[in-house]
Amino acid sequence: MHDVTAPLLRRRRLTAEMWVLGFQSPEIAAEVTAGQFVNLLLRPGPLLRRPFSVYRVDGETVEVVLKAVGEGTRQLLDLTPGDTLSMLGPLGRGFTFDPAWKEVALVSGGLGVAPMPLAARDAAAAGLRVCWVHGARTADDLCQEWTGDEVRWATDDGSRGLRGSVVDATPADVPQVLACGPNPMLAALAGRWPTAQVAIETYMGCGTGVCLGCAVPRARGGYDRACTEGPVYEAGSIRWAALPGHLHYEVASR
Amino acid sequence: MTLEVGRVQLRTPVMAASGTFGYGTEVPLLDRSRLGGMVSKGIFLHPRPGTPPVRIVETPSGMLNAIGLQGPGVDALLRDYSPQWAEWDFPVLVNINAETVDEYGELAARLDGAPGVAGLEVNISCPNVSQGGMLFGKDARLAAAVTGAVRRRTALPVWVKLTPAVTDIAEIARACEDAGADALCAVNTFVGMSIDLHTRRPRIAFGTGGLSGPAIRPMAVHLAHQAAKAVRIPVVGIGGITTASDALEFLIAGCRAVQVGTATFAEPRAIESVVEGIERYVSDNGYEDLDALPRLVEPESEAAPAT
Repeated sequence: MHDVTAPLLRRRRLTAEMWVLGFQSPEIAAEVTAGQFVNLLLRPGPLLRRPFSVYRVDGETVEVVLKAVGEGTRQLLDLTPGDTLSMLGPLGRGFTFDPAWKEVALVSGGLGVAPMPLAARDAAAAGLRVCWVHGARTADDLCQEWTGDEVRWATDDGSRGLRGSVVDATPADVPQVLACGPNPMLAALAGRWPTAQVAIETYMGCGTGVCLGCAVPRARGGYDRACTEGPVYEAGSIRWAALPGHLHYEVASR
Repeated sequence: MTLEVGRVQLRTPVMAASGTFGYGTEVPLLDRSRLGGMVSKGIFLHPRPGTPPVRIVETPSGMLNAIGLQGPGVDALLRDYSPQWAEWDFPVLVNINAETVDEYGELAARLDGAPGVAGLEVNISCPNVSQGGMLFGKDARLAAAVTGAVRRRTALPVWVKLTPAVTDIAEIARACEDAGADALCAVNTFVGMSIDLHTRRPRIAFGTGGLSGPAIRPMAVHLAHQAAKAVRIPVVGIGGITTASDALEFLIAGCRAVQVGTATFAEPRAIESVVEGIERYVSDNGYEDLDALPRLVEPESEAAPAT
């Protein structure tokens, strides 16, 4: 684990609301695997760090994807190239890949696209064929960047791809699924692919296993820490009803 | 900067607060040679699953949490952590919790003489449990009963962690001192609530949570000062300490040492910079050591402007 003072190198727009920020962070770029996250701290800024799945890695650059959902993310989007922040990572346990699958579907909804480019990289390295499945509310909300051998889209309004959920857009016979998105989407996916690997988003305090704030309810009883035992879990091992349906961040930290 | 506080030998005056340092095995990057000591995550006699999510939300300059004292129980603590602590060169106090006075005593007896346990921090101030917790800390007779029950069952140093949710912290502080406490820790989190406007539900699943962070610091400094004035035993200041100057406020207010908590979540090395800043302040001002640090200049009683 590293605490890197990372300058912002570049920024690009993914959708009307989603942005990619690229930070120079060589130690983390060299180590991070798909599904792991970094915890970002701005000073001056909010009291706590904000966790982000690593989106892409390019040389020494670590990319994260975000929406302005609250004060912390708004301040991150206000950064200009050269501004620095503290990047702690890589954190958590990411996806695992088994060449025996032959093929894998990477299924994401909205911001859940965040861990998928690295998942595609690591899947390809494991010799797997990659089916990229991505959904959002409308065509304008879809992340257009994708990697793999095949792509399928889904939108709530049918403006692009299947009208419906990404779960319905996922090939029924795919041997393994890796997914990330809103909890209700992951819960639906768990019903069909209980052995899928899902990356779960929670509120976090520390990101390093200390505060026990990022509790993930397990089917066997009790709670795990998304930051340490997760954020990637087997879908069928989660007590989905005990997780919040949506996270709301709109708290000004002032 | 080694010092003795409440029969515990601290390496520096800055400790890690309970619930913000796990069992000492989790916090990365920190140079532990600067750590005065630590208090482990609150433990009960038996394992507890803790509260459902959402457990933690950020609020203006603060953090609300309701973890519900999730923990493996004292048997697992003795098996998995106490042998490790015995190898460490800084003291580990165990934060103990119970639903009854007798259970506090039982827990103290179980930890008495355990390897690596330098003392107990008796938690009579947790706001996030449905039984016991803060209720013991709000009543001077109950606070004394718990302190006495622990005192009778262990030879370990006994520190008592006070709640801010009282009318007169001096009364509680004196009751704990009279019942045999070696030191007091002031203060635990303040009960708070934050509401999600989308769902009209509390943002913390438990309903309420404990507020920590810089938002509570002025209130915590005041309460620690009140407690320190009321007793002869040392008081350890806690509440929103992020920098050395925050810590120095508590020390000048009459505390012998401090605990850093929430700040560690954002900056795993926060304790290092607090210790270094205190050392710098002490040497820059020509004080021989921390004991030479002058105390608070109390306002004149006739400070009100003349009419």
